[in-house]
Amino acid sequence: MKLDDPRIKRIIRERSLSFCLECGKCSASCPRMLTGKEYSPRLLAQKLITEPEDEAFIENSVWECLTCGMCEERCPSGVAYSRFILDMRTLLAGTKGLKGYRSHDGALHSWMRLMTSPDLEQNRLDWIGPELRVAGSGPLAFFTGCAPYFDVFFSWIEVDTLSIARDSIRLLNFLDLVPVVLGEERCCGHDLLWTGDRENFETLCRQNYEEFKAAGVREVVVSCPECYQVLSQFMPQVIPGFDLKITLLMELLDREIRKGGLSFQPLPRRVTYQDPCRLGRMSGRYQVPRTLLSLIPELTLAEMENSGRSAVCCGNNGFINCDLYSKRIQVERLKEAKATRAELLVTACPKCMIHLTCAMRDPLRQGSLALPIRDLANVLAGQIEWSGGEAPVGPRPR
Amino acid sequence: MARVNLLGICCSWSPFACYNAAGMARMELPSNFDLIRVMCIGRINQALILRAFEYGADGVILLECQDEDCRYGPGPEVGHNNVQRVRKLLHLLGIGQKRLVEKNFAANEREELVAALWEFARDMEAMGTNPAKPSQEREGP
Ligand code: SF4
Ligand code: SF4
Repeated sequence: MKLDDPRIKRIIRERSLSFCLECGKCSASCPRMLTGKEYSPRLLAQKLITEPEDEAFIENSVWECLTCGMCEERCPSGVAYSRFILDMRTLLAGTKGLKGYRSHDGALHSWMRLMTSPDLEQNRLDWIGPELRVAGSGPLAFFTGCAPYFDVFFSWIEVDTLSIARDSIRLLNFLDLVPVVLGEERCCGHDLLWTGDRENFETLCRQNYEEFKAAGVREVVVSCPECYQVLSQFMPQVIPGFDLKITLLMELLDREIRKGGLSFQPLPRRVTYQDPCRLGRMSGRYQVPRTLLSLIPELTLAEMENSGRSAVCCGNNGFINCDLYSKRIQVERLKEAKATRAELLVTACPKCMIHLTCAMRDPLRQGSLALPIRDLANVLAGQIEWSGGEAPVGPRPR
Repeated sequence: MARVNLLGICCSWSPFACYNAAGMARMELPSNFDLIRVMCIGRINQALILRAFEYGADGVILLECQDEDCRYGPGPEVGHNNVQRVRKLLHLLGIGQKRLVEKNFAANEREELVAALWEFARDMEAMGTNPAKPSQEREGP
């Protein structure tokens, strides 16, 4: 890597890295650094500008970041840190190969890449029973993401991400919406994108777009914040003339509820809420999930010490670099959740659910971190009813 | 018939002894077959099996010891559990679950091992190439 490499110069310019004041606010708020990892976002920024010949340092650091966006929130100079990391990873992966220690030995990345096959014939809809109304074609689709795959792969930690997809469709059905669920939907490509595999990511984007078009879809409802970020922010960069409307399930619900006629059955629980980074810091949605929770009678929302803009990451992103520092981040986060005396931890991202559930199960902690965890869609589907009363559409939260 | 890529993942103990003995006896093996030797099939995880398909295998056979012969203890059981789990992922991906085969051998079963490899090759050739192959290069170096 050379100081005058035009590609590096361009990244530095586009991501405002030369505005860095070396104030160190990023490092002081970075969960990875705070848990003791030898990684400093400030130092990486400085090295890249003043000592780009220290390639080993730069390359290692680029793969360490969680892309959680906490530093950007604090940076007084507007450095776009996570996008800078994304650009650097894409560049390095193209020139030096993909790096970053892949969790689960890269099994997830393997299936994501296998999905780029043009001749794929998946059996990904086995979980849709007669109680769910779905369509093969039509104007509105629901994007399930990798939920059917997670359901198999993470069955050993007993995390039910497929329940999020089921409850999302139940909620849509409850509003008399019958979504298209594609039989050949692919992974949205989030994890490949953020680990530098731009080529396969773009292939997935094109394939998903073509599948939607072939089914006559005009609007895609998404529950997972990572899928939402990809479909709404990155897919339009890949597809010329992108014309799909991408809607967050929670915003659709919020809109429908404002029209009146809907209400929620009481849920006498104290709950706390984990802001997913792709929903909060990267898409600016802090209020909608809280508003929806506040509509449930008898539910008390107890905020964690760090919430909203300063919510701490669930410890991992893109399924790389899960290590003891990730674990420390998760343990600290779960302690914060426990400190609220909540009986239920609500999140809105299946990945938060997977990573935090994994940490809860640490046998050495003997269950001291265990806390029931549910997705916002699960909680809402369990309580929603028409204001005259009608049975809720899903099982009640435990 | 389309040429299929076959991969064997072979435990270094009993199955490799069979494979070695078959080689010494100059027994014929399928030509489109590659073998990876590992210390124990317990070393193999779901990711490594999936990776074989990602890298273009049309069929994967795990060659394991008999349960009671494992030099380390749980090897074949680990292999068995991984196969069960990966088969579910293969099913989702539309990669026929039959493309992943698991066989156990005692150290003196060279004929059985060779017969199993031919049977595996015939079955895979009958199934043809695996439809789920990544459309472009996988990971870099
Ligand atoms: S994005 Fe998160 S992990 Fe990466 S440098 Fe910023 S605070 Fe640290
Ligand atoms: S917070 Fe922003 S200005 Fe301060 S050191 Fe980090 S990148 Fe530079």
